[in-house]
Amino acid sequence: MPDQVHRAARGHEEDGRPRPHRWAGGKAGAGGLPGPAGRGGSRLQPLPCPAGRVRVRGIGGGHKRRYRMIDFQRLRYEEGAPPEPFTEKVISVRYDPCRSADIALVAGGNRKRWIIATENMQPGNSITNSPHISRMAVSASEGDAYPLGALPVGTLICNLESHPGKGAQYIRAAGTCGVLLRKVNGTAIVQLPSKRHMQVLETCVATVGRVSNVDHNKRVIGKAGRNRWLGKRPHTGLWHRKGGWAGRKIKPLPPMKSYVNLPRVKAVE
Amino acid sequence: MAAMPKALRRAGVAAVAVRGLTRGIVTRAGRPRHRTPLPRTPWTVRGPPPEVLAEMAEPRPVREQVELDTVTYAERLHYVPGLARPRFPPWERGWRDPWHSPGPRYEEMPLYKERGCYICHQGVRMLEGVRQAQWLTKTKLVEGLPPAVQAIMDNPALGLQELEERAKHMVSHARLWDTAEAAPRRERYCPMLFENLIHICRLMSGKYPSLSKRMLARNCRIAATWERESILLQVRGLSGILMNSMTPIPPVASKEEILATKEHVLETFYPIAPTIDLQEVNVYKELNDTGFRDGYPYSHPHTLFFLESASVRTDRFRPEQLRAKMLMFAFGNALAKAKALHGNDPKVLEQPIVVQSIGTDGQLFQFMVFQLNTTDLVPNDGVKNLVWIDSDQNLYERAQCVPEVKKGVVTKPAGISGFQPDTFKKFLALYLHGTV
Repeated sequence: MPDQVHRAARGHEEDGRPRPHRWAGGKAGAGGLPGPAGRGGSRLQPLPCPAGRVRVRGIGGGHKRRYRMIDFQRLRYEEGAPPEPFTEKVISVRYDPCRSADIALVAGGNRKRWIIATENMQPGNSITNSPHISRMAVSASEGDAYPLGALPVGTLICNLESHPGKGAQYIRAAGTCGVLLRKVNGTAIVQLPSKRHMQVLETCVATVGRVSNVDHNKRVIGKAGRNRWLGKRPHTGLWHRKGGWAGRKIKPLPPMKSYVNLPRVKAVE
Repeated sequence: MAAMPKALRRAGVAAVAVRGLTRGIVTRAGRPRHRTPLPRTPWTVRGPPPEVLAEMAEPRPVREQVELDTVTYAERLHYVPGLARPRFPPWERGWRDPWHSPGPRYEEMPLYKERGCYICHQGVRMLEGVRQAQWLTKTKLVEGLPPAVQAIMDNPALGLQELEERAKHMVSHARLWDTAEAAPRRERYCPMLFENLIHICRLMSGKYPSLSKRMLARNCRIAATWERESILLQVRGLSGILMNSMTPIPPVASKEEILATKEHVLETFYPIAPTIDLQEVNVYKELNDTGFRDGYPYSHPHTLFFLESASVRTDRFRPEQLRAKMLMFAFGNALAKAKALHGNDPKVLEQPIVVQSIGTDGQLFQFMVFQLNTTDLVPNDGVKNLVWIDSDQNLYERAQCVPEVKKGVVTKPAGISGFQPDTFKKFLALYLHGTV
């Protein structure tokens, strides 16, 4: 009779029934490694394109990596939970081979998930995720996730999404941050790490603070072989970066990137 | 007057000619600019346009299906451009092959229930450890071993001192002399150490004949169901090695101590739910089963032994999680026994049930004495259960299988160093508990 439970619990994934996402797998809390292994024995090889051509040169080899499924959508409610603000607790902050930033394991409710860690995130911290935009700007602490409309102007943000609910795709690299410049008419204008401006809807969620692993750009590669460990193949040697002799070229910034589809105003005849 | 249109015309002709000439030739001017309005940018860059959004929100009207004879290349038996791809019904094997059958859906299983049940089995590693197990089992924690066990340890009449040398010998046997290899792996020495220690404990039955009325059960299954604040919980399946006895262990805490637990407030750990890491299932049976048939003479659970003998560190339970598992299974055994004795009605037990558990990874020992005072587990107030935990007791500091030699000088001789007889005494005292 105990068998019946266990047989049911072992799961029949192959019959294609919908299953909840498990962002941090069963072994995650125990220091194990969740998530599917990548192609080619977990080595991040360049993906094959249909015609068998190389899309990105200079990638290949390197140390094996384990993929951890990061939840870039900070406002992902637990299954069956109401769309209300919720808190989570940081369990651990650790290195991730698949990205330059560190990742944090957070737990809340019955769920554990990996997120991108911010600069001062420590195990034991509490972080808040809120969907509400109130008239007063919130005083957010680092690591919290809010819609841009809820944050005061001038806040340093990271993990920004271009469309509400899409999941963060901007400002995810180590040590980067963006600045919330102004809020106009239901949209927010953010300065990206490249100093380019970007306009998104104010319901887009961003994390407050700066991405972790700030000293990522200070590390010394030391030798060519270490780049090979990281999966980077050597250049041909033909191209050389221009040095100081070339002077500085001042290019105008590209125009503001807008992800807002405002209804078009029809000309009055 | 006539010159101007002519000049214009010439310029226009020239422009046309130039455009015609450079068509298809890559010039240095960069990409030609679009004259027409820009093509619609894909979704990934600009997001869905309002028309698409509106379309997505509104259900499309179902178009009438016009029955047309699709010409496929099924009869040709090979691909033919221009003809449609044939669609065949899914292939049926014609008989039931157990290797290739998806099995019934959960919803169609007879034991399927709408209400989910959180199951703690032997593979569950609790994030919050003992705190979480305490909340789930409504238990108050007391550090250290109970006075009844301490009294056995300190009793000089039992002659535990003579066994210490023997215990050290047994540790050496398990760690050093067991195999012909340089060093046995943990998978080998951890069970061996347990067997050896149990062997020494059994020697005491010469003094106390009632000790021989014990039975070790391996691979026994337990099922206990209870409810906690509208959460249905179960302890299920295989656990450690269970030692049964013919007589129950007398209650460790007195009536006053049991009543004093009413004031204890259970610790919560918001924002984490107490059921985190437990397995939620919908196909289950609400069962209370001690794992033994009625009339089994050794019917009282005495001590549970948990051996964490995996050689790979990540496969082993960390001490905190091991203690949580020990608490859950000791509670499960006690609850199943209580329900078998006193029925399913929740109440404060007249005669509390005591179950002990010992966990080890071959070096580090966790001792636990659990006393089930109440089976009324739904509310947070009232009488709580009690647990005494003595955690992280080393039996020895280090087992050096091969002597460490530096520059021809033996720096660390082979052998067991830092043997702690107290840990062995605790092990023996828990074994003797209930008899002596």
